[in-house]
Amino acid sequence: MLLVRPGEKVKIRVKVNNVWYEREVEPRMLLVHFLRDELGLTGTKIGCDTSTCGACTVIMNGKSVKSCTVLAVQADGAEILTIEGLSQDGKLHPIQEAFKENYALQCGYCTPGMIMQTYYLLKDNPSPSEEEIRDGLHGNICRCTGYQNIIKAVKDASQRLRK
Amino acid sequence: MTYVGKPVKRLYDDKFVTGKSTYVDDIQISALYAGFVRSPYAHAIIKSISLEDALKVPGIVAIYTYKDLEPLIKQGIGIWLTYEDPKLWKFIPRKPLADKKVRYAGEPVAMVIGTDKYAVKDAIDKVTVDYEKLPAVIKMEEALEDKVIVHEELKTNVAFDQSYSAGNVDEAFKNADKIISVEITNKRLIPNPMEPRGIISRYEGGSLTIWYSTQVPHTARFEFSKIFGVPTSKIRVTMPDVGGAFGSKVNILPEDVSVVAASIKLGRAVRWTATRSEEMISSEARHNTFKGEVAVKNDGTVLGIRGELLVDLGAYLTYTAPLQPAIIPLMIPGPYKIRNLHIRSRAVYTNTPPITMYRGASRPEATFIIERIMSNVADELGLDDVTVRERNLIRANEMPYTNPFGLKYDFGDYLALLHEGLEKLRYKQLKEWARAEREKGRKIGVGMAFYLEICGFGPWEFGEVRVSETGDVLVITGGTPHGQGSETAIAQVVADELQIDINRVKVVWGDTETVASSMGTYGSRTAAAAASAAKVAASEVLKKMKSIAAKMLKADVEEIEYKEGVFRVKGSEKSVSWDEIANYAYSSNEPGIYAQVTLPGDVTFPYGVHVAIVEVDDYGIARVLDYKAYDDIGVVINPPLAEGQIHGGATQAVGQALYEEAMINDDGQLVVTYADYFIPTPVEAPKFESYFAEKPHVSAYPTGAKGVGEAALIVGPAVIVRALEDAVGKRFNHTPVKPEEILG
Amino acid sequence: MYPPQFGYYRPTSLADALDFLAGGNVKPLAGGQSLIPMLKFRLLQPKFLLDLNPLKELSHISISEDKVIIGATTRHEELVKSGIVRRDLPLLHQSAMKVGDMQVRNMGTIGGSLANADPSADYPAVVLAYEANLRLVSSKGERVVNVKDFFKGPFTTELREDELLYEIEFPKLEGYKYKYSKVVRRAGDFALVGMAVLAKVDGEIKDIRVSYTGVSDKPFRPFELEKTIIGSKPSLELINKFAEQVITLVKPPSDSRGSSEYRRKVMKILTINTLKEVLGVVS
Repeated sequence: MLLVRPGEKVKIRVKVNNVWYEREVEPRMLLVHFLRDELGLTGTKIGCDTSTCGACTVIMNGKSVKSCTVLAVQADGAEILTIEGLSQDGKLHPIQEAFKENYALQCGYCTPGMIMQTYYLLKDNPSPSEEEIRDGLHGNICRCTGYQNIIKAVKDASQRLRK
Repeated sequence: MTYVGKPVKRLYDDKFVTGKSTYVDDIQISALYAGFVRSPYAHAIIKSISLEDALKVPGIVAIYTYKDLEPLIKQGIGIWLTYEDPKLWKFIPRKPLADKKVRYAGEPVAMVIGTDKYAVKDAIDKVTVDYEKLPAVIKMEEALEDKVIVHEELKTNVAFDQSYSAGNVDEAFKNADKIISVEITNKRLIPNPMEPRGIISRYEGGSLTIWYSTQVPHTARFEFSKIFGVPTSKIRVTMPDVGGAFGSKVNILPEDVSVVAASIKLGRAVRWTATRSEEMISSEARHNTFKGEVAVKNDGTVLGIRGELLVDLGAYLTYTAPLQPAIIPLMIPGPYKIRNLHIRSRAVYTNTPPITMYRGASRPEATFIIERIMSNVADELGLDDVTVRERNLIRANEMPYTNPFGLKYDFGDYLALLHEGLEKLRYKQLKEWARAEREKGRKIGVGMAFYLEICGFGPWEFGEVRVSETGDVLVITGGTPHGQGSETAIAQVVADELQIDINRVKVVWGDTETVASSMGTYGSRTAAAAASAAKVAASEVLKKMKSIAAKMLKADVEEIEYKEGVFRVKGSEKSVSWDEIANYAYSSNEPGIYAQVTLPGDVTFPYGVHVAIVEVDDYGIARVLDYKAYDDIGVVINPPLAEGQIHGGATQAVGQALYEEAMINDDGQLVVTYADYFIPTPVEAPKFESYFAEKPHVSAYPTGAKGVGEAALIVGPAVIVRALEDAVGKRFNHTPVKPEEILG
Repeated sequence: MYPPQFGYYRPTSLADALDFLAGGNVKPLAGGQSLIPMLKFRLLQPKFLLDLNPLKELSHISISEDKVIIGATTRHEELVKSGIVRRDLPLLHQSAMKVGDMQVRNMGTIGGSLANADPSADYPAVVLAYEANLRLVSSKGERVVNVKDFFKGPFTTELREDELLYEIEFPKLEGYKYKYSKVVRRAGDFALVGMAVLAKVDGEIKDIRVSYTGVSDKPFRPFELEKTIIGSKPSLELINKFAEQVITLVKPPSDSRGSSEYRRKVMKILTINTLKEVLGVVS
């Protein structure tokens, strides 16, 4: 059992992009703040305060989650993949390539969350139809692109990943 | 290898797709966090503010109210003098925090500064403010009555009252076959870029360094200098990556000023990033109504328009609000030969969150008005949309055309584009198809609207091109791209001008230290003004390199010809390379291979026709299935990037027409959160088809571009509302049209 | 955006958790997809959060001969992926796919949704249609409450302060047709009006359960009205009459999604459309 009184901090261990981190946090700290402020991984963005926009999406224990709606303490012992962990050895992940190739970003703010949700979507459904892509991404909002190029990028990525 | 006109990939996407982007909240710097205590009431006197309990929260460094900041403020936030005339306006320059009174629900009253964001919020909750509630005026129509005055010193809520008259309106109405009444409204919206705004300010040794999520770093520096009485030489404003703006980040907020003031007072870096809820009250937009009459002939000719435009300002006049009431009337005649107009334009204060400009800034409002007028006229006279446009469009042989309010439309063939565009977009076939589908029971409709817009604003833009000792090219632009990709367009233009590999061109912007001068990216002006300034600067640099080549080759400069990196003496083998010149230049004591250009420029007039297919389900819920565009935007520097602007603008049009409304209740509070301010998701967004005119009419700018950033939001709402009308056979002259209105 | 300060308890066992819960001023944390947004707006200020996630026994999907039992912390996504749920509780399966978005479904739980009792949530109406039994546990023991007695009002349930929802026992309804329809203003939103139907038809209507969300301060089932059509043959006339009557039994809320009158109209049309589909009636 673990009891943390109000005002006290708790030590958590979280594996992020294959590196174990140990930090003391207040129970109320959101996972997104933990990643950005404690660990300096600012690739994951904060876009809203109602769990609507998906800009904060990361992969936790293999599933996409909105890190603004998870407490850091819930992630104790968890494995997390953020946008910074997607490219290996300086090589872009096929999803990242596909986003570039298809003009799937403009201001770039929704992009990390969009890419991480795409990562999960394609693991869940490697060959989604356009409708399935639109439906699978409706937890991620973009104000710039109108989504059509994002859909193209996801389709493109699904083909690249199946090679 | 040339680049202009080709689908060149964006230069700097790597950092965005790998999470290495740096927006203002990503900047890792030792700074204190600021947060704001905000008024829950729309109109109230501040009787007292108690900070005792809040100051006890661990980590709180200071809490400031207006009296603490007042000594630092030389003058309040004014208006955008480049484009706005203060003589026409009644306003009080905005103070950084509420002084004695609050005038809208959400107005910042106190600023809490602490070492931890969470503690700052704890302290905000512990600040107690004793308010004496006052009656509030929420609706702009009521504000006109001047019963509750928002700013007593002004003695009225009417901040702006100008009439725009042309021709002989009385005569026009006398000669009318029919007079049609219209009431056309855009309800309040929120630009809501994905990145909530923010600012970091550091004051040390008398110098201010400010990281600011802004579209106008140089203008901001100028304003901060006036506000604080600090010379511009001691202020540096840097634009980090900016996550969208849509015009809302030209606005300078009192929160921004408060943060800068705090950094000066504390001698420490202070930062603030808006939460989404704060972003939603920091920059609201649109909200206007046009009530008037249209004089028409039975054949659809519009003889005249008269009416009243009422624009809501919210509680304070913002930096960019003055554009709307002044420009909307000018563009109401649009691309049509309407010469008799009388429009009274008034803007009023209400006890609601302040209004700022939003993508299109007056042209969406004007275009919605005129296109709704055209469609209403069509319906009232039993004509179709195309006929009414044909009847009224200015003809090509009448160009250049001076509109009734003095705007000079340069070149263009509106009629030809109407026909080409509707044919390319298969409008007739789609109308027919939708009619047949309606017979089968579907509620599906097709609509069109035409627009002429005014953008590419001057008065000037800056461009600098510098060739380094290694022959690489640095473009320092006064444009401030924040998602549009126009930095890539600029690189394409410069690479073509210099005939070099685009990979040798780097484009920088947004830092007042690096960029000598700048107006910025807004008003669809970057491909026109900023890219042109860079183009001219590049051509100057090339001239200089030719002079150096002449020296190196011991020839006259007139004998030097240049092609793709090689400078040659005409008719000889003597040549020298680009890199050799760069190297040589820097070995002399005056390298000189750079050029700075401040290029004057004036507005451009892109135009186009858009079509949408809208279907309504059994519950009155409308969905835009397809959105198609055909635009003459002059030279298209990068087609996919231009199309991207159409896609994005049109999706915002879908939002404006059917989903988004910043609902304010009778107590003046914003009653929607981001969860129910329905920005379209991929499910609501339509499929797009975007084309650019086969034979565009180029602008007077050296690049020939006119501007495309705002076009789709300028005309989109009118297109979508028209398609909706076609689907359900009802008339709607406002946005948004909600499902319950559609269901009836 | 910033939750207020609270303590945190990670229990070693269910009994341990229940003892802690009995201490008072404790909010259980399952998926957090309703709780954490409320904490971020400081609508709640609990002294402690009790983390239920370590209690693996609360997350299960098991079947017996005539029941499917689902543990409270079973995630929406697990319900979607479960072959058992798809086969034996198809109405629940259909509704699980419509909750929020994929990210929310990966974390959110059925127990969390039911205990939260949002008047526009999806599961309450569905569980009401199934007439499921809810097992509630506390340090004092356990009790079974039928869902008909569980929802009291907006965000208010039969759960006492010291009780946890342990599991939900669904009957396997053989031979029932089903449909969960949800009308939303925008993808991922709460239901403007949602409707769950379970019907057993054999020439005539043998049994029918019609349940709504978004039309009242809790999930609504017109039990008496249902009885009036049992034994009848499905027909357009029957359905229209049912729809006209059912909307008179509620006074839907007015909010940013729609007015009361609009919700009522939507409820009527949704009822007609959904019943036509489920009962196999063509226009």
